[in-house]
Amino acid sequence: MTTVSEPTTATTNVLRVEGLTVHYGGVCAVRDLSFSVPAGEAIGVIGANGAGKTSTLKAVMGLIPRKVGTLSFGDVDLTRVSARSMVRHGIGYVPEGRHVFTGLPVEKNLLLGAYARKWNAETRATLAEIYELFPVLGEMRGRLAGALSGGQQQMLAIGRALMSKPRLLLLDEPSMGLSPKLVENILEVLQRLRAEGLSLLLVEQNAKLTFEATSSCLVVENGEVAMSGTSAQLRHDPQVRRIYLGL
Amino acid sequence: MQVFFQTIIGGISLGAIYALVALGFSLVYRTMGLVNFAHGNVVTVGAYLASTFYLTSKLPFALAMFVAIAVTGVIGLVIERVLRPLENRDFDLMLIGTIGFGIVLDALVIMIWGATGRAVPSPVPSAPIDLWGIRIRTYDLVVLAIAAAATVLLVLFLSRTKRGAAMQAVAMDHEAATAVGIHVGRSNAIAFMIGAGLAALAGGLVGPLLYVSPALGGALGIKGFAAAILGGFGSIPGAIVGGIAIGVLDSFTAGHFQGYSELVTFLVFTVIIMIRPTGVFGERTVNRA
Amino acid sequence: MRYRIGIIALAALAAWFLPYGLDSYAIHVVNVILIFAILAIGLGLCMGVGGQVNLAQVAFFGVGAYTTAILTTKTGWGFWLSAVLALAATIAVGLLVGTPALRVQSHYLGIVTLGLALAFTNWVTNAQVAGGAEGISAIPVPTIPGVDLSNEYLYYYLELAVFAVGLVFGLFIVRTALGRRMRAMRDDALAAGALGADVPVLRMTAFLLASVYGGLGGVLYAGLIRYVAPETFSIANMFLLLGMVIIGGRQSLIGCVVGAAGLYLVRELLADHPTVAQIGYGTVVVLVVVFAPTGLAGLPKRIRDLVTRRRGGQGEAARLQPFQPYETVRPDESGSQSPILEVDGISMYFRGLRALDDVSLSITPGEIRGIVGPNGSGKTTLFNVISGLYRPTRGRIRFRGQDSTGLAPYRLARAGMSRTFQNLRLFGDLTVEENVLVAIDRNATWHSWRYVARPISVLRRDRDLHRRAAEVIERYGLAEFAALPPKSLPYGIQRRVEIARAVAAGPALLLLDEPAAGLNGDEVRQLSEIVRSVRDSGVTVIIIEHNMGLVMSLCERITVLASGHVIAEGEPAEVASTPAVIEAYLGDSMSSDDLPSVPEVTG
Repeated sequence: MTTVSEPTTATTNVLRVEGLTVHYGGVCAVRDLSFSVPAGEAIGVIGANGAGKTSTLKAVMGLIPRKVGTLSFGDVDLTRVSARSMVRHGIGYVPEGRHVFTGLPVEKNLLLGAYARKWNAETRATLAEIYELFPVLGEMRGRLAGALSGGQQQMLAIGRALMSKPRLLLLDEPSMGLSPKLVENILEVLQRLRAEGLSLLLVEQNAKLTFEATSSCLVVENGEVAMSGTSAQLRHDPQVRRIYLGL
Repeated sequence: MQVFFQTIIGGISLGAIYALVALGFSLVYRTMGLVNFAHGNVVTVGAYLASTFYLTSKLPFALAMFVAIAVTGVIGLVIERVLRPLENRDFDLMLIGTIGFGIVLDALVIMIWGATGRAVPSPVPSAPIDLWGIRIRTYDLVVLAIAAAATVLLVLFLSRTKRGAAMQAVAMDHEAATAVGIHVGRSNAIAFMIGAGLAALAGGLVGPLLYVSPALGGALGIKGFAAAILGGFGSIPGAIVGGIAIGVLDSFTAGHFQGYSELVTFLVFTVIIMIRPTGVFGERTVNRA
Repeated sequence: MRYRIGIIALAALAAWFLPYGLDSYAIHVVNVILIFAILAIGLGLCMGVGGQVNLAQVAFFGVGAYTTAILTTKTGWGFWLSAVLALAATIAVGLLVGTPALRVQSHYLGIVTLGLALAFTNWVTNAQVAGGAEGISAIPVPTIPGVDLSNEYLYYYLELAVFAVGLVFGLFIVRTALGRRMRAMRDDALAAGALGADVPVLRMTAFLLASVYGGLGGVLYAGLIRYVAPETFSIANMFLLLGMVIIGGRQSLIGCVVGAAGLYLVRELLADHPTVAQIGYGTVVVLVVVFAPTGLAGLPKRIRDLVTRRRGGQGEAARLQPFQPYETVRPDESGSQSPILEVDGISMYFRGLRALDDVSLSITPGEIRGIVGPNGSGKTTLFNVISGLYRPTRGRIRFRGQDSTGLAPYRLARAGMSRTFQNLRLFGDLTVEENVLVAIDRNATWHSWRYVARPISVLRRDRDLHRRAAEVIERYGLAEFAALPPKSLPYGIQRRVEIARAVAAGPALLLLDEPAAGLNGDEVRQLSEIVRSVRDSGVTVIIIEHNMGLVMSLCERITVLASGHVIAEGEPAEVASTPAVIEAYLGDSMSSDDLPSVPEVTG
């Protein structure tokens, strides 16, 4: 078992994953992966394309078939919880490639983020918070999500996930296809969320972003953990470079 | 000129029915990316149910319609539930699955109501209105009003309710919809139920206009589908425009080609599809194709 | 093989002696079944093999039957002359009904063909010449000197002969070049086109085949029943036919035949309760699509798979062998090196979005050119324009000296261009060997007239194709995977299959779209070796790649795209030090010490 950081015993809001395996049409995409995300921490998963990062996240969410030994969040056993119920247990998910509801207005997208909760005054308050976090979304609230730029869609995808008031946010490649300037914006947002006490599990190809946004990281290669450690250690490790560039 | 307008008026009320059928097709396609080939058969079932409750059980027409819609809604739920394992996997297979359901429903109709048809008297018996020499049947106006009301309700449901928004979200991205907590299967089931309800509404309304027979839904279904494609598959305004267009086209070909009207309608439809496969409002379909 | 010959001999023997055990009603049923089997083979070829949804098969059947009826009764021409003309008429109608397939596919094609089938029934019910709702009776008995074909026992042998020839011919097509290409088109029309399969011709061929079998069925029906009426060609019967093909297994012609026989027998057994029969087969269609989508024909394989899985699989028997390099061809230094590809001022707009803006580049023969750039910079769009998938909004492209702007992908492929795709577009239901075979086959589809006129030459050519495919598979170390469907293989091997397939097409210019995506370090090294060897064999290569290490070491020249513009071009080291490139890739604000950075991922 690879533990990214020492699991604080019996704290609530710890995501525990042990022995996660995913098969994709005869191919083993993730092999016996184990890690945990302590409360309030940000954990990164990095690796090259096709290393199994996205599969890991989707498998945790229950969006693809998986085998898993332990999967729990706080005191809740998630092994039998369906993908659509994860949000009710405080887990928000930002899919790879944003996947906003392109044909619906920005505000509808955000409101749907709170689908699992009652739409009431509290929802309005959360919405206002999101607009405060991402002012650009407030300006575009009536616009169709499909008409937004890539960066704005990414903010919308994060905002949508935050609408459910999660305690843990799973992010899949939030930097994908964004200019360096926008990647920096995303980093600021992630740091702010973390400061507010939200736990993050960040899956990224962009190692630079990940090392700055997280406290510790797993480096995956071919569906397995190749190495792990604190972000500060890993960022200077020559082996990361090798794994990364395949040289 | 008077004949021309009379033909158009004649086409519009039937066109409104086609539009309702097209709406059902489009709604299911929009939410699930599926073409429901059993839709026409559901129309037949709806027509028979409505006429049975109206004629045999002597229920008021509106109530008979309501019961028919409820029963066909359940049929829609059953179809969706059985085909659910194929959802988001293989649309060609699902299409064939719905054809299978169509075959079953077709046989059930004949088993229950027999192979011969029945005529349904108009529930509003007043004389036609004469407007500048053009005769308009009052029942045509009823059909138009109900079709318009149904469309408005559907649009309101989709744009104003949480469930409606969720249904559209499922259509755009079922995985992201799942992640925010939407039950995709249930959402699809509701789409199917509403689609079937619209089919029953069309079937019930068309009873007094045409002869109710086992072949009714086949003809209506295929023309409604043609209407949906003509307008742009999945688009609500497209379904309305396409429905009216097919209705008017039908009315003209019936006037000019008599028995061959169906032949001409389908030839014209084929040519239009080849020229513009995405239909009039058809940009949405690009996502799915 | 011997086992198979035995089964065929047994089946032939059974078919020969079948009438001896049947009463006159039973033989009539068998005769009708044979007609439905012929129709089902046609539908299976069009829909199962060619992937063209065809709900007008019953109309083809009707055109054959009605034309025979009209010609024999109205003109007094003999049965056989009428039959030939009827077949010709059916083919003409089939090609007409198939034309929409050039523009629309899937459910759109379904509704169009269904509409045209309805138009046909509408016509025969109304037309005087077709006898209206009463139909046409008193069609003369077909005559063969010395054989009384009004005797249904003897008619059986006529039908049996037509059926046997039809089935063998169908199987012959499925198992050789034409069928392979049709199946490739069914699995992925885009990839098939990029490999030189002329998709429009193939789609028409699918409808041609459907109409030939439909017409044959119609002629035999007219000769057997000697009466035609509209209800035989109704939509209900179309769906019955569809049910036969689906239940039997649409991708297997034998399955189609079994489905036709089985379903018709059940319907016959329940003749007194037609609605019950209809509910029955409708239900079976639903159950089949949900639980056994490959139909009856697919069951043996599913059972076999289940058994092997129970036994715990065969282990990891198959292994990837090393790639064997091509022989190096000395580039011919004498001639002036005119560019193999010239892209001149290409712009590509998608609804106002500028994916490419005035992009120009020129590729000399024998080079390996890298195209890099952040995500969304237009690299794949550029490939799609070059390979003919998109027609550019502005600008010209010259390939091997010829203007190739707006040429269909299959024409470019024939002219010597080959490509791979970012997200792997292998033909999933074909084996690895068949994937390669489709690429090797460079004949135009219209050459398929040989199937009728010179079947032996088709077989001989196919044997030659197989031999060449085996060489390719051996060279790429894929021998142990040759008979497997690519879907079942690990990702890295699938990538290699796709490259093998693209090179097997014998291109002068090879376009590789992110060939290293998803590969591990070792696989990337092998890829690099393969690409170099392919180039050394005389092929020019353009490669889109994110893996900068690979690009830097492999390419002689690199073109950098950003937001649809070319922002730099030159040798790797030169490009890597261009400020605009560093800005686009790293953004100066975040560039820090020795952090690895691969700034983008596949879209």
